Amino acid sequence: MSSPSTLISARRGERVSAFVVKWGFIAVTVALILYFVITLPNFRTVDNVFGMLKFVAPTAIAGLGVALAMTVGGIDLSVGASAGFAVSVAAWTMVIGNQVGGVAVIVVLIGGLAIGGLNALLVVVARVPDLLATLTTMFVIVGLKLLIVDGKSISSNMSLADGTTAPGKFTADFLALDRGSVGPIPIPVIILAALTLLMWVLLERTRWGRALFAVGANVEAARLAGIRVQLYRTLAYMGCGLLASIAGLLLAARIGQGDVSAGNSLLLDAMAVALVGVSVLGIGRPNAWGTLLGAVLIAVMTTGFTMAGLPYYAQDFGKGIVLLVAMLFSFTLSRKRTVLTAGSTSAS
Amino acid sequence: MATTRRVTVALAATVILALTGCAQSNGATSSSSASTTPAAVASAPLPAPFNTDKAVEIALVRQSGAGDYFEGWGAGAAAQAKAANIHLTISDARNDNAKQASDLEQAIANKPDAIIVDHGLTDTLQPLITKAVAAGIPIAVYDLALTDATGVVTTSQSDESMATGVLDQLIKDVGDGAKVGYVSATGYAALDRRAVIWKQYVTEHKLDQVFSTGKVTESTATDNIPLVDAALKQNPDVQAIFAPYDEITKGVVQAVTQNNLQGKVKVYGIDISNADLDVILADKSPWVATSATDPAAVGAGVVRSIALKLAGQLYKDDVQFPAVTITQDFLTSKSIKTITDLRNAEPALSLDDIAVADWLPAVS
Repeated sequence: MSSPSTLISARRGERVSAFVVKWGFIAVTVALILYFVITLPNFRTVDNVFGMLKFVAPTAIAGLGVALAMTVGGIDLSVGASAGFAVSVAAWTMVIGNQVGGVAVIVVLIGGLAIGGLNALLVVVARVPDLLATLTTMFVIVGLKLLIVDGKSISSNMSLADGTTAPGKFTADFLALDRGSVGPIPIPVIILAALTLLMWVLLERTRWGRALFAVGANVEAARLAGIRVQLYRTLAYMGCGLLASIAGLLLAARIGQGDVSAGNSLLLDAMAVALVGVSVLGIGRPNAWGTLLGAVLIAVMTTGFTMAGLPYYAQDFGKGIVLLVAMLFSFTLSRKRTVLTAGSTSAS
Repeated sequence: MATTRRVTVALAATVILALTGCAQSNGATSSSSASTTPAAVASAPLPAPFNTDKAVEIALVRQSGAGDYFEGWGAGAAAQAKAANIHLTISDARNDNAKQASDLEQAIANKPDAIIVDHGLTDTLQPLITKAVAAGIPIAVYDLALTDATGVVTTSQSDESMATGVLDQLIKDVGDGAKVGYVSATGYAALDRRAVIWKQYVTEHKLDQVFSTGKVTESTATDNIPLVDAALKQNPDVQAIFAPYDEITKGVVQAVTQNNLQGKVKVYGIDISNADLDVILADKSPWVATSATDPAAVGAGVVRSIALKLAGQLYKDDVQFPAVTITQDFLTSKSIKTITDLRNAEPALSLDDIAVADWLPAVS
């Protein structure tokens, strides 16, 4: 039906779009970085490079969590709330509970696993659609956090309701989680690198990773293949909760008090970097390095635009456009079927 | 067909990206050229380091720039900077305190000529401010309590002067030993500082505080009405109410009015805006006095403070911006309707005698 010449041009078109899908996003990032490096002398300093990575570490780690939930076809709207919960719990444990930093870290991580467990309970056992389940969890834990701290930001040496001064304070070793560095490398950057590597190994180099993706692609097929579907979905949500609470630990150490508004802005950025991760390199499914690249892009845009004197509202627009383009690459252009699904049913 | 569509979308995507690239380079050029406009009203030439072709680089690290007060503050700071050959790089954390920490950290890494920090949390910012001082970067803070202010220019709007001015008026109106009510909230630095002054006045003037209530929410004015309404039903003989934050004051005025107690109960507030002026000037309004600064003048004053520091002409590292007490009688006698009228009628609001020099007059 088609003449040979249209067939050839169609194939060339396919090759062009495949190339754009694979490299377009990387090219945008590299171009932005080059532009800032050339025009902004302060942008290319070592201090600034590590500063940007440090700034974006909590977002990137929460984004890894979202990516993990996405592998099983889920979504987690409670990551920002989980991180905020972690900030208040860490502050409460050290300042009111008078415990050392290590104890606070353990309590926070257990809390993160519990929140992930709650999400899993709602999604897997109670069969609430994941969007609604994690939204509910978000409200529950924001409320729980405020109850625990009486709606107040807990700070070192704060005065308590009975007129006495709080017994504990943020310990130096806890604060070092964000404020410390090994040589020139800030500790949050090291934590981020380690978690990204770990996530990459888990998703791409183990049979657990393959099982997670199998569940996300088609629950029924995965079940027939003998994969314990419910177990993997539960583990994905708990892993997401754990990562969100690690992001919260970094925020707590950065702020140095139990700021009740912490984590509020984390959800959308974490979601954005995970989605960028899906689209990068035309992979078409959640992955660790893509998520990291998405976070780097956010950091580059935020820092570069600020240095260039752009107001924050223009920055939001820039971020929106870049995300829009990422979505076009991944959903509209990609030859591969994108595994990301809305709700728990597979739409691909 | 499907392939053609795909190619079209790819092209469209590339064009969009190219366009954003252009937009951002335009932004960069225009912002740097804006800073070279010379000062217009100074009666003396700019001293070093302001007298070169290259603008002085100052990073302004804000906790939030949203709302009437903060927008006015930012506009005043920007206008003053322009007049003094200063290029301001502004970061706005939008109340995300972790972001403000990162913003300040990056500002320090960029080694500007000076840094201004506007609001923020002590525990979050103190270590970074100490780091900036150690790095030799002159730094000024506005309304930020520090545990170690060594080498830092501290500026604030004087909450003490705000509370004192309006409470002096209260005592003048109702006298010692009067029955009074108090509507405020705790946990907000400015409100806590005003509360200290209130307690002093209650003790010194033997005021009989018959109720104390109030809260700050997303809609403070509305949410305080039921609280004050209940308090007034219980204590209709109260003579004066102190509500030291204009959003709360508006709620109190509403509650007094709906209980038909105008004329019997006088309300004393803090802050001023065009909306507040309407409430104060309404027929039989119980809001008889308020105390305020002009946020634009304050923002400009902070920029002048750090500019004087850079020129080696700031002789006291703590700068306070005093408030002006404004009574309902004053407003009606001068037929003031707007903030602009008020600025003209009350020159003290412009802060033109605070942190000024021949080469650095206050912008109007």
